[in-house]
Amino acid sequence: MAGYALAVDIGGTFTDVVLRSGDGATVVDKTLTTPGDLLEGFFRAVDLALERASARPAEVDDVIVHATTIVTNAVIERKGPKTALLVTEGFRDVLAIRDEHRYEMFDPQIEFAAPLVPRPLTFGVPERVYADGSIGRAVDEAALARIAAALEAADVVSVAIAFLNSYRNPANERRAAELLAAAAPALFISLSSEVAPQIREYPRTSTAVLNAYTRPITEPYLRGLRQRLVERGFRNDPLIMLSNGGVIGAEIAGRFPVRMIESGPAAGALAASWFAERLGLDRLLSFDMGGTTAKAALIEQRRPLVAGSFEVDRIYRFKAGSGMPVLIPAIDLIEIGAGGGSVAAVDELGLLKVGPQSAGSVPGPVCYARGGTAPTVTDADLVLGFLDAAHFLGGDMRLDRAAAEASMAALGRRLGTDAETAAAGIYRVVAEQMAAAARAHATDRGIDYRGVPLLAFGGAGPVHACAVAELLDSAAVIFPPLASVLSAFGTLVTPARLDLVRGALGRLAAVDWGETDTLLTAMVEEGRAALVEAGCPAEGIRFAFGGDLRYLGQQNEVQVAFAEDPRLLRDRAALRRAFEAAYEAQYGLRLADVEVEIVSWRVAALGPQPARPSRAALPPRPGRPKARRRARFGEQAQPTDVYDRAALAARQEIAGPAIIEERETTIVLPPGWRARVEAEGCIVARREMK
Amino acid sequence: MSRFMDGIELEILWSNLIATVSDQAKALQRIAFSPIVREAGDLATALFDAEGRMVAQAVTGTPGHINALAAAGAHLVAAAPPATLAPGDVLITNDPWLSAGHFFDITVFTPVFHRGRVIAFFGSTIHHTDIGGYGVGAGARDVHEEGLWIPICKLYEAGRPNALLHDIIRHNVRTPDYVFGDLAAQVSSARLGSERLLALMARHGLSDIDELSAEIIARSERATRAAIKKLRPGTYEGESRFDVPGGDVVTLKAAVAIDAEAGEIRIDFAGSSEASPYGINVVLNYTHAYATFAIRSCLDPELPNNHGSLAPIKVTAPEGSIVNCTYPSPVNARHVVGMYVPMPILKALYHVMPERVLAEGAGAVWTIQIQGRDAAGRPFTSSMFNYSGGMGARARKDGPDATCYPTGVAAVPVEVLEAAMPIEFLEKELRPGSGGAGRRRGGDGQRIRFRMRTAAPWLLNAVTSRTRERAEGLGGGEPGAAGRFLVNGRAVSEARKMVMQPGDEVSMETPGGGGYGRAEAAA
Repeated sequence: MAGYALAVDIGGTFTDVVLRSGDGATVVDKTLTTPGDLLEGFFRAVDLALERASARPAEVDDVIVHATTIVTNAVIERKGPKTALLVTEGFRDVLAIRDEHRYEMFDPQIEFAAPLVPRPLTFGVPERVYADGSIGRAVDEAALARIAAALEAADVVSVAIAFLNSYRNPANERRAAELLAAAAPALFISLSSEVAPQIREYPRTSTAVLNAYTRPITEPYLRGLRQRLVERGFRNDPLIMLSNGGVIGAEIAGRFPVRMIESGPAAGALAASWFAERLGLDRLLSFDMGGTTAKAALIEQRRPLVAGSFEVDRIYRFKAGSGMPVLIPAIDLIEIGAGGGSVAAVDELGLLKVGPQSAGSVPGPVCYARGGTAPTVTDADLVLGFLDAAHFLGGDMRLDRAAAEASMAALGRRLGTDAETAAAGIYRVVAEQMAAAARAHATDRGIDYRGVPLLAFGGAGPVHACAVAELLDSAAVIFPPLASVLSAFGTLVTPARLDLVRGALGRLAAVDWGETDTLLTAMVEEGRAALVEAGCPAEGIRFAFGGDLRYLGQQNEVQVAFAEDPRLLRDRAALRRAFEAAYEAQYGLRLADVEVEIVSWRVAALGPQPARPSRAALPPRPGRPKARRRARFGEQAQPTDVYDRAALAARQEIAGPAIIEERETTIVLPPGWRARVEAEGCIVARREMK
Repeated sequence: MSRFMDGIELEILWSNLIATVSDQAKALQRIAFSPIVREAGDLATALFDAEGRMVAQAVTGTPGHINALAAAGAHLVAAAPPATLAPGDVLITNDPWLSAGHFFDITVFTPVFHRGRVIAFFGSTIHHTDIGGYGVGAGARDVHEEGLWIPICKLYEAGRPNALLHDIIRHNVRTPDYVFGDLAAQVSSARLGSERLLALMARHGLSDIDELSAEIIARSERATRAAIKKLRPGTYEGESRFDVPGGDVVTLKAAVAIDAEAGEIRIDFAGSSEASPYGINVVLNYTHAYATFAIRSCLDPELPNNHGSLAPIKVTAPEGSIVNCTYPSPVNARHVVGMYVPMPILKALYHVMPERVLAEGAGAVWTIQIQGRDAAGRPFTSSMFNYSGGMGARARKDGPDATCYPTGVAAVPVEVLEAAMPIEFLEKELRPGSGGAGRRRGGDGQRIRFRMRTAAPWLLNAVTSRTRERAEGLGGGEPGAAGRFLVNGRAVSEARKMVMQPGDEVSMETPGGGGYGRAEAAA
């Protein structure tokens, strides 16, 4: 039995595929994403990989894992069908009013994106649940009947129901759903108490609406995927990658498409934690730099950090507050508005600025010769000699070096310097931006980033990683193999996982254990059922317990992991100790006299870590430089050896300065650095002692 | 040529300084107890050079705090020059006239030592949970009734807490744990800033930041002057009227003189109302903060904010006026008037840069605090929470609904308030049509209705404004609707705490923003 496992990651530009046989041999490929019908690109990529491995669909008897950008695209391009929102009467404008925050103080010209559901499709329902969960008023059935008729008249396809305090008691939302389903059975219905049962009405409603808006697109997509897999002779149902860094069955993913937003980058972080495990590193900072942005994620104790919320579709320079809040667990990523296509300019203060404007892929950097005139990061990398005009994308795309130099010279004149110095300036400024973003991210979480190794991937990541590492005092930079399809690879090493959250605001000292028991047991059972559906053996499922806690009087909570199932010992003091330890780690203090509140309970259902062996195929003898070219490091250019990554043998060592080329990316090793081919085919670069 | 003249080197060092103070702000915001700091971001952090000039400020916070902190830095360094400081010293004050205009805002100022001398300071100002005295609201008769007055002094001396000061604070505030928690947060965020700054200096081989600071300040000042020199010179006038709790109407008059030759803008508030008997008076620091904010956000929001870019903007106001109040005027709710300070300036600037200004908006956020007893008879005091009206329209864009300018503070969610006290919200919706008509419409205000689920009488402290004097439109735009503050359907206007009965229903309709341009030109 061949035991093939298959992974497909559909991103904005490329669809990546990884096919791995039972003995660890791996085939990868990349095709252009097909926005009209994403599954067309899916199967084209799969066919390519199967053909190269001479394998048949029936031989894929291990998992088929899929990460897709379909949900994100539907939101960003506003492609969802007509969606309505039911709220508590008197609160129709919850989406338009947001949290009232003006996200950019100094710019009086900022705007806010229009809500996904317009006011005429938002309906107030006479009903009320109080903060303690008691029902002040049952759902008005006559009103619901009128609303159902109005939805039908307006051709509404999907509905979100988000009532006040439903995080505490979902009864009224459920009753409204029953009535709607009876009146209009074809409606897709999303309940805020199921999608994101947490306190704060605006982000919970926003999340439920995003779910409702994308469900009518996602469910048929996943159904189509399953059907076409069967038709082609594949034997297993697909598993779907979620933003929390887990995979789950297609049925649950279809019901909660909002959990799939940002799942591609999450898979990249999962790949990083897999390498951390294999290389024996507890901590890593994954650094994925592409064309328009860079993404970074901290891996702690070999796991990526998971945050409780994020924003989608930020419309103002990636600024917090300018997007729509999504209240679901997601890998904690920082997105930085600087990538290969980012434009460099001199501002009115005479300072060199890079990004956030990007030339994208069209017109792209000047050197692409597709009409771009503004100098970009990629142009700087070319002028510095890090990229080879003749071997970009393995030679498939010729770069125009003279044009890049001319644009850099023009920039240099504005700075009072030459083209190469201007390019070196861009290279430094980009590194500083990445380092500043990583420091800010770490500071926000109370983490000391110094010494943490970097794992670099994405088209531009390996070009810039060592420069970033120098600023962050990183102990090493790791360049994994398969860097260009790392997210697809990540889905293959991702365990099944479902994160569940339930709001339960109250003082820790007054926790009602009977109620808590019922709540946690329901969460455990929901998680178990989902993982069994995803193919996990019931005995292999573990549960991790946690909560969101805070000191009474504070408004933001800290996510705390509990060592034990709280149902077993019912030990309030132990929960408080866990909170205080987490709080102290983040903020450096404890407040012995202040009461602690629990805001939400968390349960993560975790499947077994897939044990799929890997095998890096390396040549037996050390590779020699294939060329030598002038590259500029710091103040001056020097002749630099150029290697082909595929030619490097296990344990081969290379001293910087050197350049190591792959088809989709280039590793830049500055002077003072030494690289070595280590476990799993990773190239590990370290700074030599001075 | 100084090495910092280089646009690459300077960009790297400067952006690092800004990142450092932003990280300081983030650390502070996450750790603070004061809900208005955490949820609303009511804080400021900044780096000062050894002379007390603000070099970099966090890209967070509120205008009132940030620019007031710049002024506080100068006062603090004048009162406690570097030569009088030792490593481990931390300075503190909440003097309204020297810092942010009321006692609740405490400024903490920490020197950074390198090789035995002061090379910089990290400062922060945050709104604390309590400062004793009257509490939240405008009802005190003089500044002394408003709480504890902390003159410029040392909170820590050579690393040891100033025991007497700590004792005084502990005995004079209602929530000492929170106040000390927040002070600790201010001190530790400055420590983080110092470590970052020293590491940056080590990476770049610097022994101080004098030359760097001089270059940053000089360039910022030059760029600001250059932007001003492009404007049409002259003196332009604007006037804004609004009513405040108690019913008085306040008039703010601003004469904005553009000196294109020197690249300077001088703003004078002559002709503005006299100081009020209620605690809504504004110290000049705070007036200066909002006035310079209005200029800078219209002139070029991309310009950095520091001593250099603030220097070409001069602000004066007659002593004893409501925007330059003198001791012992009460100042507690000074934001009510302070947040209107930009309005007459924007109207004046309309004559010079009509594309960049916005029409008058709702002005100050409406703030509320409630005290009472829950069903079980336990007393509670809510934190202060706030709601926005509509923003004024812009030349090419409608004004955002339920969003405030010049601050942009967030509102506390309904569910968070309902979980914290026995309040029941009946409504929180926009008031369609409350934004003024025009070629571009003003933002809509909102209607908020609530009652208390309690059997005991309760206290309501509501600071409203613009319930009669509407937000005017610009260039032929219509005014926004006035706000309405109703108890059981009857209009009220009260600067002091009101005693309410169980079952009383409160309705607050925040004002709409003014429109821009004539409505018939909308097609």
